[in-house]
Amino acid sequence: MVYLDNAATSPMDAEVVARVHEAMRDLFANSGTPYKIGLDAKSLIEKSAQSIAETLQIPPTHRILFTSGGTESNNLFIKGLCFPDKKAAFLGLEHPSVTESLRFLSQFGNEPLSLLSSQKEGRFDLGSIPTLKEKRVRLLCLSHVNNELGTVNDPLKIISALAKESPQTRLFLDGVQAIGKLKLDPQMWKGLAGYSISGHKIHGPKGIGLLVYDSKLVLAPQMHGGKQQFGIRSGTLPLPLILGLETAIKRAVAQTEETQRHLQGLCEHLIQGLKSLEKPELKIRFNSLVDADSSRQSPGIVNFSFPPVEGEVILHHLEAKDIFVGLGSACSAHSKEPSRILMGIGLREEQARCSLRISFSRNNTSEEIDQFLEAFAKAYQTLYPTFLKKAEHR
Amino acid sequence: MTERRTVLIRYDEIGLKGRNRKFFEKCLLRNIRRVLSGADDIHYSSPRGRIFLDIPASFAEECSVKLKAVPGIASFSIGISMNSDFDAIAALGVQWIEPRLKSVDSLNFCVKTRRSEKSFPKTSPEVNFEVGSRIMKQLSPEGLTVNITEAEYVLEIEIGRSETVVFDNRQQGLCGLPVGSSGNVLCLLSGGIDSPVSAFMMACRGCRVHFVFFDNQPFLGRGGYDKVLTLAKKINHFQAKATLYVVPFEEIQGAIRDHCNEENRIVLYRRMMYRIAAEIAERKGCLALVNGESLGQVASQTLENIAAVSCVTSLSVLRPLIGMNKESIINKAKEIGTYEVSIEPQPDCCSVFMPKNPVTRSKIPFLERDEEKIPWQELSDKAIAEMEIIRVDDL
Repeated sequence: MVYLDNAATSPMDAEVVARVHEAMRDLFANSGTPYKIGLDAKSLIEKSAQSIAETLQIPPTHRILFTSGGTESNNLFIKGLCFPDKKAAFLGLEHPSVTESLRFLSQFGNEPLSLLSSQKEGRFDLGSIPTLKEKRVRLLCLSHVNNELGTVNDPLKIISALAKESPQTRLFLDGVQAIGKLKLDPQMWKGLAGYSISGHKIHGPKGIGLLVYDSKLVLAPQMHGGKQQFGIRSGTLPLPLILGLETAIKRAVAQTEETQRHLQGLCEHLIQGLKSLEKPELKIRFNSLVDADSSRQSPGIVNFSFPPVEGEVILHHLEAKDIFVGLGSACSAHSKEPSRILMGIGLREEQARCSLRISFSRNNTSEEIDQFLEAFAKAYQTLYPTFLKKAEHR
Repeated sequence: MTERRTVLIRYDEIGLKGRNRKFFEKCLLRNIRRVLSGADDIHYSSPRGRIFLDIPASFAEECSVKLKAVPGIASFSIGISMNSDFDAIAALGVQWIEPRLKSVDSLNFCVKTRRSEKSFPKTSPEVNFEVGSRIMKQLSPEGLTVNITEAEYVLEIEIGRSETVVFDNRQQGLCGLPVGSSGNVLCLLSGGIDSPVSAFMMACRGCRVHFVFFDNQPFLGRGGYDKVLTLAKKINHFQAKATLYVVPFEEIQGAIRDHCNEENRIVLYRRMMYRIAAEIAERKGCLALVNGESLGQVASQTLENIAAVSCVTSLSVLRPLIGMNKESIINKAKEIGTYEVSIEPQPDCCSVFMPKNPVTRSKIPFLERDEEKIPWQELSDKAIAEMEIIRVDDL
């Protein structure tokens, strides 16, 4: 099997599986109970949070909440902070858990400011900061790494520009696709209002994630119950998943530089390979940036278009060869509409439909890229005549 | 001795059948035995017009759930068998009614008796009176009143030759005819909302419904295939022993797409589906095809297109939903538990095969001329040779 859809999810590391398995077997107690085994569980969770804070160099000004994953972290922070009337802005290219949370606020008259018209290369343009000030935006919500394109919003540059030109606007980043692929500069925490992380994108378990946020901010809980985690996120804490997440984060951070180099190699290999396939009937358009600068583009994601053959059909032909690739955000892959993100950066509908997203992990090899390239070329060749006729009929 | 319950099962239309009645009753009894086959210690008897089960009391709840999925049952009740002793029957009635009176100020009730044993010395109204008055004597101070026309609680007594059954919980069955009494049919299952409902409706008319699905892999993913497997399993719950045929359809669609008029494509695809389905039906001994068409619902379901498709086979094509509106179909799908599966967003046809403007009133000679351009017999034989045959009971 060749798995090239790591931005959708990643296989769990054996070490993580062992940690989760062991904890599921031995550590069943509820961390909210007052007896010995409950207190032991509580203490393990605190140690885990501490260890994650140290690994990611999160300062004591910021608080860590365990959530069920990136979607919950984004919902909790955006709705918890901005409801009912704090003005938010976004690029319009974020994951649905960001854009839909903002859309939810708009039902109550709190219309978010879309900066889509000023995006450049799928990234936030610092030139739009005066607008944020003028519109009294209190929270700017962006992806650290875009989930379909891999384009990067550099936190330090944005934070320092906001501090100068629109000090009232705080920055929230969806960091789900960044951790483990890009080196996080600990300086960013100071200026960040919030940051979300998901376990399963970094070879950790599904169903666990983090929200890191500035503890001076007041978040309204979105789930009510036993008042766990400062009363902001109720619910019995899943100790085995937390330990699994801790292991995954430690491994991801320890290997970031090596992973980044490895992914860079794979990324270049794929781009070169795709370029070498080009012929009159196969024109590749790279939707992600062809740029080795990791402050602009994550090496983990390559997105490209190849009209007239549809991405979905190629995907299933590759599937028949046991090669798995992505169409875009897995959360919207069932939607019949073409990718909102690709349309948002100005692609035509056909270009958006005729695209694939390849996303790597440290487990992938260049041989796998070669296998993909060969199978892609074959599938394209088989399907081209059929789709050419379709295009001619239109 | 373990506590026992008696289940009294009433037939639906079998009661109307003349000399074939025995056959229908046997069918129903066989189906009931099948759904309850996992349980031990059940005794069956079928005096005229009824089926009785003697079951352990602990099995009553599960038994009730299972009987609700058996076509041909009009209603059933789970009660207690006893001697025809009015004092004992009234005591049981009091035991059942008393707890209900605790939460309300008043309760209307009545007793309804049916005698299949006509030699019993009292008439049904007399039994009603004997038992009812005994119960009233004890419970009228607590708010129990008699109301025969608008009773909130009905205590029923069925007096048979060998025993009397007392119950208070008549439950609605699926009605219709027992599966297997009307023969085999083959349903074209698409993964949408309609075809599972039509399959269910035919199962309730006594058919054993088998399924055929035309698969678009690898143009589309396995999602549609998995969905059809789940739907077939859900319908099979009402009948058992179904077979699902999965026919690879991509090559046929490709040929039609590449060689025939674009606007005719959908009707041509369907004509091929019906030819293949008819061939499978013949092999399986199915006497008719079933589909989920509802007149005018989509472009392919106009009278002209329906005629242009069904003329490729001499088999009857049954369309139980033809006069139903979408809302009623959706409600039925929700009732039988297929709706949630059907609405899962899985594409059923790759856009590359879809025409821009499908013909709504196709002309058969034009379709035949189109079909001359493709080796349709050869393609259809190949698809049948390569189809996957799945026993739905094994899923």
